[in-house]
Amino acid sequence: MDLTAPLFLAQIVSDEVRLQHEYEYLSYGLTAAWVILAVYVLLMVSRERKLKNEIGRLRAMLEDRRK
Amino acid sequence: MRDKILFVFGVVAMGILAWNVNAIARLPEETQQGVTFKIIFFHVPMWMCATMAATVALLASVGFLVTKNFKFDAAAVASTEVGLAFTTIGLVTGSIWGRQIWGIWWTWDARLTSALVCWILYAGYLMLRKAIEEPTQRATFAAVFSIFAFIDVPIVVFSIKWWRTQHPQPVFWSGGSFPPDWTHHLMWNMLAMLLLGIVMTAVRLRQEEAQREIDSLRRMAHAL
Repeated sequence: MDLTAPLFLAQIVSDEVRLQHEYEYLSYGLTAAWVILAVYVLLMVSRERKLKNEIGRLRAMLEDRRK
Repeated sequence: MRDKILFVFGVVAMGILAWNVNAIARLPEETQQGVTFKIIFFHVPMWMCATMAATVALLASVGFLVTKNFKFDAAAVASTEVGLAFTTIGLVTGSIWGRQIWGIWWTWDARLTSALVCWILYAGYLMLRKAIEEPTQRATFAAVFSIFAFIDVPIVVFSIKWWRTQHPQPVFWSGGSFPPDWTHHLMWNMLAMLLLGIVMTAVRLRQEEAQREIDSLRRMAHAL
């Protein structure tokens, strides 16, 4: 009977668990990076829209007052 | 024309990232850290870009104090805001890496603490701007504050040389152990982040110009 087989199997399982754990944290890191960047870009887009609306509103108001 | 250049920069940055992420995924495991070390390919470029943004903010702030030209003030706020976004990502990715490698989310060592102080200072800069109504006073105070805040940047950069820290020593210079082909991927990511940073700063700069136009339209509306 080969007594090293269970040890070898245990080593494979332990490596698999370690690798899974490492990939988990790598994915957390990358997700966090992209989420923060995406949130910032969305905030910028929303600000851009607000500024354009405000400029349009003020120009229209000035036109009305001049008339 | 400026929009077209920015669009090209954005597309090139995304292209580099898509290609490079694929290449980084194929890199082998690092002997001590396993695959978690790959966070470094995003963590370091974010900090490099944040440092560049802080330097631009410093130069723009000095430029404003010397010339009183509001374009410098707009450049300072745009680069500070984008730099703060990069700093946030740098802190968060570093913390996640630390949790896996050190077993802790945070430690009060010199590098991490000075980096957090840097984040607080630049967040404070943006809050200070919101607190002051009068544009010239706001720009002057903000420029002085930005110059003061920059004092922390070299402390963050050199803290790992000046003090014994839990944060790793440099791996790219001073006899660092980063393999050259991995450095090559890191440099591509750095270029991509830099291009993204330029695009975001330019967009933010245009928003500051729009804000100035709103201020002048409001003044005209009051005068009529």
